[in-house]
Amino acid sequence: MEDKELDELFTDPAHQEVVDLLKASRPATPPLDPNFRLHLRAQLMAEARKTLTPRAARSWFPFTFTPRLLAPAMAAVAAGFIVVLGIEVYLANQPATSSLVAMDVSKLNNKTNVATGEPIEIPFSGPVDQAAVEVQIEPATSFTQQWIGQKLVIVPDHPLAPNTTYTVRVKPKATVPTPNASNPNTPKPAVAPTPAVVHFTTVRAPVPPVVPPSFRSAGVTYGFDSRLGDSARVNILGAVWTPTGQLLVTRPGGQPGPSTLPTASATASGSGPAASTDVWLMSTMGTPIRMVAPGGNFPAAAPTGGLFSVWRQAEGSHANLEVRDLQGNLISTAATVEGVPDRPAVWIGADRLAYVDGGTLRIVGLHAPLETPALKVDHGSLAASPNGQLLAVQSTGGSVVLDLTPAATQRLHDGATGFNWSAKGDLAFTIQRENGTDLYVLTDGKTSKIASSANGQTWSDLNWAPDATSLLFAARPAGGNSMSSVLMLINRDGSNPTQFGPQREYSAPQWSPAGDLVLFTRRDEAGGNAFWVATSAPSANDAAEKQALAEVDKFMQARIRGDSGTAQDEMDNAGRAAYQGGTSSLFSPAGTQFDRYYPVTVQLTGSNANKFLVGVRIFIKKSGVETSFFEEQLSLVLQDQRYLVDGVKASETMALGHGPTVVSVQILQAPPGQQVRVRFDADLKPDSVTSTTIQVKDANGQLVAARVSFDADKHLATVTVRLQKGTYQLVVTTGVTDINGMPLAQEYDAPLVISR
Amino acid sequence: MPERFEERELVERAKLDPDAFGALYDRYFPQIYRFAYSRVRDQSLAEDVTSEVFFKALKNIKRYTYSGHPFSSWLYQITLNAVADHYRGAAGKEVELEEGASLPSTEPTVVDEVVRRDRSRRVWSAIDQLPKQQRAAMVLKFGEDRKIEEIAQILGKSSGAVKLLLHRGVERLRRELPPELELGTP
Repeated sequence: MEDKELDELFTDPAHQEVVDLLKASRPATPPLDPNFRLHLRAQLMAEARKTLTPRAARSWFPFTFTPRLLAPAMAAVAAGFIVVLGIEVYLANQPATSSLVAMDVSKLNNKTNVATGEPIEIPFSGPVDQAAVEVQIEPATSFTQQWIGQKLVIVPDHPLAPNTTYTVRVKPKATVPTPNASNPNTPKPAVAPTPAVVHFTTVRAPVPPVVPPSFRSAGVTYGFDSRLGDSARVNILGAVWTPTGQLLVTRPGGQPGPSTLPTASATASGSGPAASTDVWLMSTMGTPIRMVAPGGNFPAAAPTGGLFSVWRQAEGSHANLEVRDLQGNLISTAATVEGVPDRPAVWIGADRLAYVDGGTLRIVGLHAPLETPALKVDHGSLAASPNGQLLAVQSTGGSVVLDLTPAATQRLHDGATGFNWSAKGDLAFTIQRENGTDLYVLTDGKTSKIASSANGQTWSDLNWAPDATSLLFAARPAGGNSMSSVLMLINRDGSNPTQFGPQREYSAPQWSPAGDLVLFTRRDEAGGNAFWVATSAPSANDAAEKQALAEVDKFMQARIRGDSGTAQDEMDNAGRAAYQGGTSSLFSPAGTQFDRYYPVTVQLTGSNANKFLVGVRIFIKKSGVETSFFEEQLSLVLQDQRYLVDGVKASETMALGHGPTVVSVQILQAPPGQQVRVRFDADLKPDSVTSTTIQVKDANGQLVAARVSFDADKHLATVTVRLQKGTYQLVVTTGVTDINGMPLAQEYDAPLVISR
Repeated sequence: MPERFEERELVERAKLDPDAFGALYDRYFPQIYRFAYSRVRDQSLAEDVTSEVFFKALKNIKRYTYSGHPFSSWLYQITLNAVADHYRGAAGKEVELEEGASLPSTEPTVVDEVVRRDRSRRVWSAIDQLPKQQRAAMVLKFGEDRKIEEIAQILGKSSGAVKLLLHRGVERLRRELPPELELGTP
């Protein structure tokens, strides 16, 4: 008897002999009273006839409207409690016994504020031939399609764009499965013969800040927090941010979620606590997106995105260091070690991994073997610089920074540990003293002590803020344990140490890549550690911008609801004259309706925070459907402590649903020049995003030299330029196409103001 | 049409159609009874467990959701729970060996045809003495020819954990079975 699973599992000849013996030695046929089988069948059938209702032939509509059911059913429909977007699912020539299946999209259709990082779930009312269902998403979006029982789960490959109305079409594939020729009475597989359409709109994006956020400790506040599900059941075996701001989290084995199997039933569950762990990709809201490493723990995200490393137990007492992509596909097995690893591997750039094997440092290349420096590390700290050139190692012989390029090393102070590199290449570390902790920063080869703890306090778990201006760490009082740990924030120069968060028992903080969230661990009521996420709010996202945007929101909401008084009150004389002069329409033309708006860009145009240029996109609805949009560039000027609309310029109206569109434009200072970040709503063909298709022009219409890069995961084109003070024009041509080859409906232009 | 698809259709029909449920019973009774017997080693108890399994299946079949695994996986799960319930009711009568405990002596007494027949009994007797989870994994793999992924579903474990159970089970048999029982030895 051939069994590939057994062949792969047992390669040792001694084991194979036992396996062969087992395969040849079937268990004895148990004694069986034939009357028992018949008797049980009769009992079951009697019970089944009492409890099971024979299926009646059904019409095309998935509900039977008998008089008894009609009234409540109609009432429910009238009340709008149930919105079933009708999808009959059947086959041509199907027998009367085959099923009809409807999709229940009531939870999704026409929903707004849909999270951008969550799977799209569409439950069916009955079994569906899953292979025959085809899904299309507009704007063009690549995705994977999974099933949990009768629920279709659509997992976009990248987070959806904010502020965007998506259309999901579910329809049958062109090829219809053939019926079972050997048994024509067997019900044929069900398919969806008529397309069903679901619309939803994603959540509004945070407005891109005019001033990049700063995480200096005086300015950051702790917002609300939330606990990631299930994490308390795991001793901390690792959670980490991906570069795109999702989470890789170690969870107890067998947890529910997309792509795993639901518990069969209440009676069939509860076989005891799970002995293993899995690694999941999760949203920042703690929603499992997909299992990416069954049986894994200690994930480590590659700095370039797309890949991660994970430890998985192998045969016997071995563990494999695997590299996987974020879809969960195994890319390679980088190493195998004896025993159970107690820490994640450390990425060194995009193609090397450092790990500890039996107490010894090892470095493995994903594409080529590497010579490993002979360092005994045991449980010492290990961290790689963002550029992949430097590796800080706490070896048993002392702490060093290895320069992996020319193999030079720099010795650090004795006892240096807790290494963490900033995005700018600064290394922070601590040295534990008898009566406290010293905090050091190594910059350009020079080490300086920036702070020391007082009263015997112990500092650990260093983590740089994304902009490298401050550090988060865990602080414990003398004699305390993790139960009494608090998070602290301290500026890069050691000034202004501040407690971050209201509670104790926090440790292991990790800033998200965007700096809007902090992942940390917290003791829970069961005595374990759970993963939590807290929001943070840098105060450098200045009040002026918020105030200006608040005025814009009042102005726009008044226009949407037709409130002339409020809209007029948000303008100064110049603004009112602009609208009265026909520069743009204050209210929607007859037969249409302003449906919604959102800010596309915010620019500081005055020398102080007294004048802003806010680009807003306004959506026009006709006959209840959004059909087009246009943009206005609103000038806001500070007058009597209020920002008022002082002027307006309007774009042409653009039709919706015809190729990708720009959803935001952000200008960042990136000395010695600037970065213009242009975000799209669709997955684009990367080779269509070039300096030819996205341009910056000066006031004379001349092209400015620019370099364009594209991040497919974020739908983000970044234009790197060096602009002097003045006004420029961003031009996105129709050469930009989505993954289906559909170009922008028309050229997109937006002003760029460099005010300093 | 793939067998798995036919099975799904049959299960869906069985949610409303007593005859379809009867067909499911006919299809799965032998393996569920065999599995139950392998766990309790007593005909009367095996009958009780099997009866309980199918009545629970009937009661809950409307809540059953196809998850990509054979319907039998669900029945095996119910069987495991029913066996566990039985032993809980019997105040922990089921003997659980620790990893380090020794298997009973299985020294060969004869070396002829009887011995060859006896191999099967002995090796399965040895499996009976394995720790509970190992035993279940071994019976499902070598006795019921289930896929590792299915076994993982039934036991509520990861595939990796099932592989580990199988590996440990085989390794333990290798260590503790007398060499005369292994293939290639008369």
